[in-house]
Amino acid sequence: MVGKIGRVTGRIAPGLLGEVMIPVRGGTEAFHAYAADEGDVITTGTRIVVVEYHPPRTVVVSKM
Amino acid sequence: MVSVDSLILIAIIAGGALLLLVIIFRLAWRVAEPNEALIISGFKTAKEGTGAVELHDSLGFRIITGKGTLVVPGVQTVRRLSLDLRQSDLAIDCVTHQGIPLGIKGVLIYKVGDDFSSIANAARRFLDQQNQMDQRVHNVFAGHLRAIVGNMTVEEMIRDRDKLTSLTRSSAGSEMEKLGLIVDSLQIQEIDDPTGYISNLGRPHAAAVERDARIAQAQADQAATEAEQEADARKAEARRNSAISQAGFQAEVDRAAATSQQAGPLADAAARQQVVVQETKVAELEGQREEQRLQATVRKPADAKAYEQTTLAKGARDARIAAAEAQAKEVELQAGANAQRVKLEAGADAERVRVAAAADAEHVRLSFAAQADSVRAVGEAEAAATQAKGLAEGEAVRAKGIAEADSIKARADALLQNQDAVIGQQLAENWPAIVEAAAKPFGAIDQLIVLNGAQGVSEVLAQALSQGVAGLQMARTILGKPSRPANGQDAEELPPPKGEV
Repeated sequence: MVGKIGRVTGRIAPGLLGEVMIPVRGGTEAFHAYAADEGDVITTGTRIVVVEYHPPRTVVVSKM
Repeated sequence: MVSVDSLILIAIIAGGALLLLVIIFRLAWRVAEPNEALIISGFKTAKEGTGAVELHDSLGFRIITGKGTLVVPGVQTVRRLSLDLRQSDLAIDCVTHQGIPLGIKGVLIYKVGDDFSSIANAARRFLDQQNQMDQRVHNVFAGHLRAIVGNMTVEEMIRDRDKLTSLTRSSAGSEMEKLGLIVDSLQIQEIDDPTGYISNLGRPHAAAVERDARIAQAQADQAATEAEQEADARKAEARRNSAISQAGFQAEVDRAAATSQQAGPLADAAARQQVVVQETKVAELEGQREEQRLQATVRKPADAKAYEQTTLAKGARDARIAAAEAQAKEVELQAGANAQRVKLEAGADAERVRVAAAADAEHVRLSFAAQADSVRAVGEAEAAATQAKGLAEGEAVRAKGIAEADSIKARADALLQNQDAVIGQQLAENWPAIVEAAAKPFGAIDQLIVLNGAQGVSEVLAQALSQGVAGLQMARTILGKPSRPANGQDAEELPPPKGEV
């Protein structure tokens, strides 16, 4: 999972649980997402890279 | 034959064995469809499981997705967990951030997660209760939805879909993770708004939109009407112009037709006119000829005759004038002779009359003079006689007047000296009249009763007589009447006229 490139579908902001779509297992799945940098705001449509993976469905991402 | 029978037998047995083998394999081999996961538990599951690497120290079941596996009947059990999309209908009453009560009907789309962790979580919770999964999720998510709505306003709920999904994730995501479920979508299908908040929310905009629509419609209608009216006006103008043009052309046509119709009569008239002109000239020539003829035959003889008659008349007139002049001269001379004669006769008559008149006048004058002398002599004699008579009478009257004056003067002196005695004398002379006058007041009385006898009568009379100046005046008036001829004033007035004569 770590290193995969995805796309933000729900805005990531402090106090807000974002959502990203990540291609995995031959399809794309939605994962809950937090920003790697505290206070970083990532708007919808931004491309991200997965930094950490917290099973089952949470990732930490940063902007590319 | 034997060998053929044994061959057939062998084939049947082999076929049976093959069939049996296929059946056994068919029973032991299980395939996971794309939308399901096989949960295999039992003998050796932990060692052989394809996706069970991470689950070595777990509860010890195997999860198969997307492929087949051999299951030993009797020692292993296979359960299928559907990974299909599931739907849970939500219908809750809740309150928004602004405290507005709303009835919300929503639908929650979820599924079991595709990763082994989610499948394991879900399998441990719902494997025998897959039919009741919707009910469970509904119960869990109703509370979450209530919290989500409580954090939003109505406007946000309607418009801010991003916030709705975000809140859904943050409030329900971790909870659903426990259940191995993923919320694909939360849709609010219906908002029951008992307070009318949403309809009121939209009303200004609706009114504005309606207003704009009506304005636009009115403007469009106005523009259309203007265009139509303008088009009508243009059409009317075009019709008018067309009618005018047509009328003009028609007039020209009519004119041309009339001209063409008149052409024949005009030509006729022109021809007739020329004929008439020629005829007129002919008539004039004839008239001249006739005139010439008449001049020759009538006028010339008439002129000659008239001249003749005029000459004759002039001769006759001159003759008559000469005769009249001669007669006039004659008459004049005769009249002069007559006048001379009459004048002489008139002079003679006048002289004669004048002489006669002078004689008469002298005669009359002499007679009147004689008569006047006689009359004057008579008058003078009468005047002398009268004067003498008058003087004599005057003297006599004067003497008488002086005598009376003396007597009156003497009487007046006597009266001054003894008025009462005179009055008494006169009273005595006129007593009867006095008594009659004094008795007049008593005359109205029918019966006078006197109490003192004769003395009483005298007293009454005395009182009547002694009633002051009035009574005396009365007495004087009574006395004055009979004694007026003896009054001295009358006697003195008489003499002067006689004295003047």
